[in-house]
Amino acid sequence: MPVTARLTVSALSKTFGSARVLTDVELTAAPGEVHGLAGQNGSGKSTLIKILTGLYTPDPGASYEVDGRAMRLPVRWPEVHAAGISVVHQDLGLLDQLTVAENICVGGFPTSRLGRIDGARRDALAAATLDRLGVALATDRIVATLTAAERAEVAIARAMRDQSKGAGLIILDESTRALSGADLDRVHRLLRRIAADGGAALMISHSLPELIAVTDRITILRDGRLAAAGEPTSELNEQEIARLMVGSAVGAVTPRPAPSAPPGEPAATVTGLRGAHLAPVSFTVAPGEVLGITGLPGSGYEDLPYLLTGARKATAGELRTGAGTVRLARASVAACLQAGVVLVPERRDRDGLAFELTVADNISLPMLRGRGRPWFVARRWQQADAEASARTLDIRPRTPSILVKELSGGNQQKVLLAKWINTGPTLLVLHEPTQAVDIGARTDILRRLQRVADSGVAVLLVSSEPEDLVATCDRILVYGREVGLREATVTTTDELIEMIYVTNAATAGSPA
Amino acid sequence: MTMSDQTGQAAPQRDDGNGTPTAPEGTQAAGAIRARLHWLGSRYALIGVWILLAAVYEGLMPHLFLQVSTAQAIFGSQSPLLFLAIAALCTFVVGEFDLSFAGVMGLSATIIPVLSGLHHVNIALACVIALAACIACGVVNAFFVVVLGVSSLIVTLGTASLYLGIAELLSDQNTVSVTDNAFASVALHNILGLPLSFWYGVILCIGFAYVLRWTPVGRHIIFVGANREVARLAGINVNRIRFGSYIAASIVAALAGIMLIATVGGFDPTASPSYLLPALAAVFLGTAIVMPGQFNPIGTLFGIYFLETGIIGLQLLGYSGWVQDAFYGGGLVAAVSVAHLVRNRTRTA
Repeated sequence: MPVTARLTVSALSKTFGSARVLTDVELTAAPGEVHGLAGQNGSGKSTLIKILTGLYTPDPGASYEVDGRAMRLPVRWPEVHAAGISVVHQDLGLLDQLTVAENICVGGFPTSRLGRIDGARRDALAAATLDRLGVALATDRIVATLTAAERAEVAIARAMRDQSKGAGLIILDESTRALSGADLDRVHRLLRRIAADGGAALMISHSLPELIAVTDRITILRDGRLAAAGEPTSELNEQEIARLMVGSAVGAVTPRPAPSAPPGEPAATVTGLRGAHLAPVSFTVAPGEVLGITGLPGSGYEDLPYLLTGARKATAGELRTGAGTVRLARASVAACLQAGVVLVPERRDRDGLAFELTVADNISLPMLRGRGRPWFVARRWQQADAEASARTLDIRPRTPSILVKELSGGNQQKVLLAKWINTGPTLLVLHEPTQAVDIGARTDILRRLQRVADSGVAVLLVSSEPEDLVATCDRILVYGREVGLREATVTTTDELIEMIYVTNAATAGSPA
Repeated sequence: MTMSDQTGQAAPQRDDGNGTPTAPEGTQAAGAIRARLHWLGSRYALIGVWILLAAVYEGLMPHLFLQVSTAQAIFGSQSPLLFLAIAALCTFVVGEFDLSFAGVMGLSATIIPVLSGLHHVNIALACVIALAACIACGVVNAFFVVVLGVSSLIVTLGTASLYLGIAELLSDQNTVSVTDNAFASVALHNILGLPLSFWYGVILCIGFAYVLRWTPVGRHIIFVGANREVARLAGINVNRIRFGSYIAASIVAALAGIMLIATVGGFDPTASPSYLLPALAAVFLGTAIVMPGQFNPIGTLFGIYFLETGIIGLQLLGYSGWVQDAFYGGGLVAAVSVAHLVRNRTRTA
């Protein structure tokens, strides 16, 4: 086909010191297509994006063309941007206190002759951009008041601001990961519209259903090499994509046989737990059991892990374990730890790990007081523990002295998991432990949870991933604002999703 | 002291490919050596610069600079400043900010001669009273910052001026002094050619480094500094550690004042702000050495004497007065920039 590709990258390699992280990578994106880029954490995806945006210099020999025009390497971002490439980052980069128009025009405000921002032209530019993209949104709204889908639309509009209709390439660097359900569909429709008009999009995503739903072709990286070079997505299914990413057949997580332990004392009993956004719930977790709790996003069940572990103050509630009773309305994290209840929080960067410190330091943090003396903590057991965890969880690289920030997302998550499993908890509470990790790491993490339960630990998995819950849990409870927790007797993902909607549709007035 | 377990940083990008692509043996070995050099460079480059500096001075002033007397001048005179830098470090390592430590030291260095010299109070008692007053200053800082949650920069900028004002009030804005030989010998008694006060400083730095590295409380402090929320969710009492850091800072600043009076015998309270920048310069310079990017006591120790080497050299060359200010300021910016560049190269190259 004589159509010039919007972006062509070829013979791209990148070496860091002695490690080659990209080898002969090629990538083309044609006008009118949404091109997917997939790969496990650590496959070289982010390095590729950093080269595309000029942050890293590729090894000599690479070529980089936009609309058939060769770019000088390393590319300078202003040049590439002027040629039509733009990026929407993971966190969208919006300023909450400003309006839609201001957010869209950041970096390119129309100015009056004296250099002042011309408010009318700014609003007109923003409105024209939104209009071109077919997005209905008032330009004077404050971004903080927008829904998740509208925020994504604003970020995309900013990226497409300077492109005329049918031009440009937008790179979405996991920008959709905070979206789900109808919000996600809406953003997908926007991307399809951009492509239909002749624009192009390069979409990086961990979500296989999303890649299948929205992309035309897909490029897959494995260990820094091409595992698939722009294969038509219509000829692939989820399993095949997963296999290309991982390299061998994906070992699925299979439900374990129900714990054989006699129904004796529960490991933990929670009574009347209530928070600012959480209606009262009561439940028990048995030793060796994996209990799942889920619900509709935003319904309040997301607070449960934090209220249960003293990370946030509950308004009422009691937690009983073999080690004693904790009143959760007055509990500190330390009191909950004392009772053997530990938390693996969702945000590993903010709440989970100190990124500037080493893997060994992070893993041993909760045990320093217990295993050391007030005047001396040995380093040897810390190294040994970290090495053992790296082996059991397949954390790469194995070096305990590497800084956490130098690991890929999936490996960071494993470090966070190891940190809390190693404390030998009675009840291990996890919130979204597989968010934004690749399939390989997800399988490793879920299997590890099952093995931890096998050793007698009670595991509470609070998650919005139906697949994870069905595959991993012995018992699943669904939270509804009106009805509290309901046991879900389901065996498939679809049944569970159905159950989540049914539980939350039970409106006020209909007695449960 | 702590390098053996840090070698993993040698190849920071290895994680980027699961199962590193196999490179030829030779390339890998060469790469490892280069990485090793980078690692050494990023940690100890400043010591190299220090040696270079001394060599340049010796070249300019043959048989004048590399002398025992010069070394004594460099290492014998800086203990009050070293104590002060460690006081600053106490709050910096937990991610807090304290600008009032120089004011606290000034208060301590004023109270002692005022009580002892003017009011004839026993000098030991005067020291205890000064220490107590300084601890009270620390409590005031901590109360506003930790309990009320006001920005530490604003609070300590304000209290710095407040403590300066109190010291000026106590001294009636005069230089105050005390002569007590026994007291002076506590700091000036000579051991191995250097005054006791130098050894106190070395012991303080090593002790502080030990606590940070080898005790549970020290590791907790590091985590509070690295990520407060992670520390809190690990059951650490973050606010107690933050509060404690202000108290510790005020105690060490009080000791700096005691050292100053014991060494010099007198103090002009209006001079205390001039101690702020040199101490900060040494602390930030310290982040360029031993543990790059992290506040650390051994780095601070080097930082102090590195700066003093530069200044003494310039003074011997005949520059004086303005040299000190210019060197503290310029040296800080230059050294930290170099360390920053070296660190970035290790990360991406």
